[in-house]
Amino acid sequence: MRPLFTAFSLTLLTAGGFAADIDMPEWGSSSDSEGYALGGGLWPAGLLPDGAPEAEEGEATTAVAETPTNPDGSPLTFYGPLTTTDAGSTAVGNNTGDAGEIVDQPAQAPPVEALPPIEGELRNVYFGYPPVDYLIDPQRLLTEQKSNDIKRFLEFHSDESDFKIYVMVIGETQAIPDDIDLQKIHKEWFSDQNTVLMVYHREHPDLTEFVYNENVRSALPKSVFDRIRQNCLREGAATDLAPDQVEKMAIELSIQLYWLWRLMAAEGAEAKAISEAESVYDLPASADAPELLREYAPSIFLEESSRRAISILITIAVILACLVLVAFVGWIVIWLRGLDRIGGGPLIFPSFEPVTRLGGEFSGGGFVSMSFDINDTSSHSS
Amino acid sequence: MKCPKCMRPVDHEAESCYSCGYSEKESAKKFGSNQVVLSRVHDAAHCLRKQEKDVLNSAIDQLELKFPQMLFCAYLGTLPEGLNMSELGFWLLNHGQVKGAEYARPNENAILVILDMNTKQVGISLGYFAESLITEEDSYRALMKARPNLLNGEYGEAIETIFRRLCKVLEKKGKKMRKLSHEELQAQSKALNENTLDLPEHFAPMLGRKRRLRAV
Repeated sequence: MRPLFTAFSLTLLTAGGFAADIDMPEWGSSSDSEGYALGGGLWPAGLLPDGAPEAEEGEATTAVAETPTNPDGSPLTFYGPLTTTDAGSTAVGNNTGDAGEIVDQPAQAPPVEALPPIEGELRNVYFGYPPVDYLIDPQRLLTEQKSNDIKRFLEFHSDESDFKIYVMVIGETQAIPDDIDLQKIHKEWFSDQNTVLMVYHREHPDLTEFVYNENVRSALPKSVFDRIRQNCLREGAATDLAPDQVEKMAIELSIQLYWLWRLMAAEGAEAKAISEAESVYDLPASADAPELLREYAPSIFLEESSRRAISILITIAVILACLVLVAFVGWIVIWLRGLDRIGGGPLIFPSFEPVTRLGGEFSGGGFVSMSFDINDTSSHSS
Repeated sequence: MKCPKCMRPVDHEAESCYSCGYSEKESAKKFGSNQVVLSRVHDAAHCLRKQEKDVLNSAIDQLELKFPQMLFCAYLGTLPEGLNMSELGFWLLNHGQVKGAEYARPNENAILVILDMNTKQVGISLGYFAESLITEEDSYRALMKARPNLLNGEYGEAIETIFRRLCKVLEKKGKKMRKLSHEELQAQSKALNENTLDLPEHFAPMLGRKRRLRAV
């Protein structure tokens, strides 16, 4: 009975299932995807991986994908790593190809921003009056956070160092006006203190200019400043982002200026005594600074081991010289003593009354003898 | 001072040796009581050539100019066996008379070098005055300095070397004596003539004396 009941129940359940008609979604159908947008329609179409076809068709929410603008309608400047789609829209990361596949595009050059030439009011802002801040960036070409970091670092450096650093940031397409002489400007602004003005072109560190005081320029050879520039440019070339470049170059310039100050001190007359009295090796330094000093002031940057070796050699030489001198003097003394040369005037001895001995009138028998027979070993008898 | 015969220490004022009884009288018995005339370089052995003798004489002339009181002379001979060089020196200084020696150079100021070609020995006899200026050690060093010349048979040069060496000693002595005051010189000469024996120290009597002193 029980097996029959079980078989009957299964038959009923199976038949009910087939009789029900449930609407299931068809994933492969393209007709239902028209009203669906990835991200709820909040992402720009250009940033969507599969958004390109939809943007072409104009059926997606293209209004959200427009280029962001400032409240006044001007385009918002973005200084981060940028890529460009074929259609001209800005995108981050990957871009879709024509075949609809996701293709990694190589990093492309940043868009050339149309910065105004430095003239008029902008020129006045840059060169009209001495700067009150160590970072001169009226166009705000650097990010705000990095600008604050760099300012703080430059202030700290100026408090600690004899050299002050001013960083002037201009756009990569901008140029210093022809009638502006940076050296003259520098002289007007910073004649009373040692200052380096670093004119940085955004994302083009190779165009960076360094302006020093005239007395500093004249104190050291040109190659020293070339080396400083090379080291700063190398640091700047280590990164692509303008704020990072400025930061790295400023730090390197600070280090190089420290050694420049040491070098200037070493070149002076008083400094030779200072360099002899002080120990340079205990001071922290960047890897490049010692090379700089080694090249131009080797006397103050001798390796400790080499100095020790030199002192040992000098000590040995002095000792040898003393020994030779002593030997020479000794030889002369021996030679002089060996000479039986009797010179000078007559020598009179005081006379005294001798006491006779053994009955001798003139001699008491004082006698010393020696054998000079070559076979006789007993030589002394008295 | 030592006896020329037995080499035992002799008192300064002793008329004869306490050990062997030797005295000038005994030497006069042995060698003769007469005076003999010597030249400054008396070459009885005929071992010096004329040129060597001339050179030696000129050297002695120089030395005598420097030391007007001193008498430099040399005797070269072939002594018979049994003749002691020290006895001969003692006798020659007391009985010899050097030709050409001035009154200012008595025999007591003499430095006599004796060479015995028979026994190959060289010796220096000193008069009383020379004895006070030249020690036995100085004499021995002078002889040692001349030893190479003697071994090579260069007797003239050897005698000259001995004299020059002794003159260096005299020069040093003279420089020292110049610095001394008159009183110090008197004291020095008195010390030389003190009636003391050059006897070695004997510890036993000294200890005994100390004990006696303690007992007292």
